Amino acid sequence: MEIFLSYTVVGIVAGCVYALIATGLVVTYNTTGIFNFAHGAIAMVGAYTYWQFQDDFQGWGINPVISLILVLFVLAPLFGLIVERVLMRPLQGASVDLTLVVTLGLLLFLVGVAQIAWDPNVTRNLPSFFNGAGFNIGYVQVSYHEVVAVVATVAIAISLRILFNNTRTGIAMRAVVDNPDLLAMAGGRPVRVQQLAWALSCSLAALAGILLAPINRLDILLLTLLVVDGYAAAIIGRLRNLPLAVGGAMAIGLGQNYLNGYAHSGFLNRIQFTIPMIVLFIMLILLPQDRLKTASFSGAVAPRVAGLKSSLIWGAVLIVGTYLVSLSLSDINLRTGASGFALALVLLSLLLLTGYGGMVSICQMSMAGLGAIAMGHVASGGSLLGVLAAIGLSGAVGALLALPTLKMRGLYLALATFAFATVMDQAVFTQVFGTGGNLAIGRPHIPGIPTQSDQAWMMVCCIVFTAAAVAVLAVRRSSFGRKLVAVNDSPAACATLGVNVNYTKLIVFTSSAMMCGLAGVLIGGVTKQVDALTFPALLSLVALLLARVGGINTATGVLLGAFTFALFPVFVPHLPHILHNQFLLTGIAAVSVGRDPNGIGGRIAEGAAYLRKAFGMEAKPQFVATGPVAGTAAAVFLEEEANLVSAGR
Amino acid sequence: MSAPAAEKTGSTVRRDPHAALEIIDVSVKFGGITAVSDVSLSARRGQITGLIGPNGAGKTTTFNVITGLQEPTNGRVFIGEREVSHLPPYRRSRLGMARTFQRLEVFGSLSVYENVLAAAEFHHSWSDDATPPRLVANEIVERVGLSTVSEERVDALPTGIARLVELGRALATRPDLLLLDEVGSGLNHEETAALGDLMIELTRDGTAILLVEHDVELVMRVCDRIFVLDFGRLIANGTPEQIQKDPAVQAAYLGADTEEQK
Repeated sequence: MEIFLSYTVVGIVAGCVYALIATGLVVTYNTTGIFNFAHGAIAMVGAYTYWQFQDDFQGWGINPVISLILVLFVLAPLFGLIVERVLMRPLQGASVDLTLVVTLGLLLFLVGVAQIAWDPNVTRNLPSFFNGAGFNIGYVQVSYHEVVAVVATVAIAISLRILFNNTRTGIAMRAVVDNPDLLAMAGGRPVRVQQLAWALSCSLAALAGILLAPINRLDILLLTLLVVDGYAAAIIGRLRNLPLAVGGAMAIGLGQNYLNGYAHSGFLNRIQFTIPMIVLFIMLILLPQDRLKTASFSGAVAPRVAGLKSSLIWGAVLIVGTYLVSLSLSDINLRTGASGFALALVLLSLLLLTGYGGMVSICQMSMAGLGAIAMGHVASGGSLLGVLAAIGLSGAVGALLALPTLKMRGLYLALATFAFATVMDQAVFTQVFGTGGNLAIGRPHIPGIPTQSDQAWMMVCCIVFTAAAVAVLAVRRSSFGRKLVAVNDSPAACATLGVNVNYTKLIVFTSSAMMCGLAGVLIGGVTKQVDALTFPALLSLVALLLARVGGINTATGVLLGAFTFALFPVFVPHLPHILHNQFLLTGIAAVSVGRDPNGIGGRIAEGAAYLRKAFGMEAKPQFVATGPVAGTAAAVFLEEEANLVSAGR
Repeated sequence: MSAPAAEKTGSTVRRDPHAALEIIDVSVKFGGITAVSDVSLSARRGQITGLIGPNGAGKTTTFNVITGLQEPTNGRVFIGEREVSHLPPYRRSRLGMARTFQRLEVFGSLSVYENVLAAAEFHHSWSDDATPPRLVANEIVERVGLSTVSEERVDALPTGIARLVELGRALATRPDLLLLDEVGSGLNHEETAALGDLMIELTRDGTAILLVEHDVELVMRVCDRIFVLDFGRLIANGTPEQIQKDPAVQAAYLGADTEEQK
């Protein structure tokens, strides 16, 4: 009984924190129609800021109560106002995919800022309120920190209920998402209402972070992702219904802790941390989806698809160019180049899936991780058989994941795939590799072709990417490619023209996962070993944003996106110190350049079309999607730069 | 499992043994609102059947039920002999049915030609028609009068032309049963006349056409039989002459016309 009670107490506290998170999400979704993926990161920054204020040794040693008031009632709302003004207000009426890009970009930006401000290698402690003091009910210990968590949550839940149902402002908050113009005409002030919502939401996030950090650990990624667990509760409330979301949060918190208490070992114990994500996944499947509707992640006007001739020519140019550059590179830079092409292959899978097919995925790195696992375990880790196994395993898991998610689009699909990636992180990769452990991956031996040296491996990666890019472009030009684009443009029309829409999506999802499996082999081959941190969910998110920034509907775009990230170590010495963080830069790129759905690749295609016209060449811009031309240029330039840098050392 | 059983009983339920399409007692409720109420109608081979009524009468909803995009609260749908009430949309269209949409559902990022070509390729992939899709597409683009814009991206075209693209796309699947949802709106007088001729031409090959159209002149000219919906209910059916004289139809239209003219 004592055990039951103590797990109940811990479960209620966890449920309260989830409820706070869910409430914050519902508040902004209800008033702006934007699902804030960055909510977790805001909570994390809130917790760190509070730590900074009140810590006596590494921080500024300000009185905890004053610190708390400053963070919750001044800084967090202020941050909310800035976010609203700079990022969210321009998104009024924007498509779901743009809001996804911007909020995901904000998430990465905040993680980057936190990593620069608070060195992740330094251990920090955020004490509980009242330094962990508490009291006993029978044998069950209850800390004042936990009491504060519960009281605060109940108070907030009640006041929000009153705010939304009984006050003019609250009713305006509910009205604003439905029709801001109508509200304005009726004398309401939609902007003021939305400012209030973001300020409130950020305060709630900060409070959740401050309550959560002492219970777990003050760790940037852990905290950001723990808060993501609260998203499940918000989805239970269908992002609209606060009481339902709070109830869901309690159920998740309690369920998770009872599992922890009663399933001491075995499968159930291992999955306890993934419970929220599993709940999220199941809820998404159960939610009524929009019926066959139109939506698209890529641009309204996509660049023309490169023809076979031009993609072959530019592919050859890329391979030859890479070879020439590779002759003069150090081993470190050869591996950097190889990882660039490997990452480009992951992004290429998004060109097919998202750019052409309109399906968002935030689990491509997890698929690559599965490929690496298969490669490492089959035929002692260095054979072509392993490559086949990698492609097969990723494809199979991709198909299994696709089946329940086929009907989802936009936000729901993004959440479901992200939930999957998180579960892979917590339940699969840590189990397979073991905490701190790793798996050796060999470079497959191919008769007659050198693959073992770093230079050879970079060429393998380059050739595999180029072949895959030519293939993807060929698929796009084929009848299947037309079907894919048609299914994205109008699933309803396709269905009434005899197309099995779900089957088409299944094929694309599976092929895309297979490409990731192959990329996993390439990634593993670069470092010759992988561990639980090689394929984190966060990197899947980075991959999606990089593809969007580079241009998610051209091969040039994805190559650019991948190399911008992979070459980070090369050009970082030339950047001011404040920008020395990949997440920060990716985040900034996403919220700025990522707004253009065609990305940088699309701009290059436009430029090329302009040039062709200016030089009086054939007016029809048949191969304006320049294929990998710009990629080559960028690769050559940056690799040479890399060479200079390494020579200078 | 239930489909074959339903098919057996189907022949006893069907009221019009010659119909290419028949729906029986179809009702659709959205929440508390009844959009379509106990509607039964049929369309015959080689004929043009009109389905008219004021805005919000339930015409498009009826089309959605027939094509399987909207699950009815009640009622059954037959294509030829076969009951299709429980088939998914793509299986229904593979029985030889195609439609256009009132709210455009074109493949906006493809060209006019590619729209038609894609449909021809779909048809090629699931039928035993061996004609190369490109030939089909060339012929159809010509036939619906889109040759001059065939390379244009569809999302850059005016609505009237985009509707013709939808018609061409539907025709590219060589349908026996064609559902046209306001395909003539946005066209000028000559274009509408040409469209009417095209429809009549199609019926000569035995195609059954179910036509939703606001252009009363066109409807009266081409239809063999007309069904009239008002507030989700069937208020009349008969030949164009009978419908024109029907007092219930006149009442519904006179009441609604003033709103629609805006």
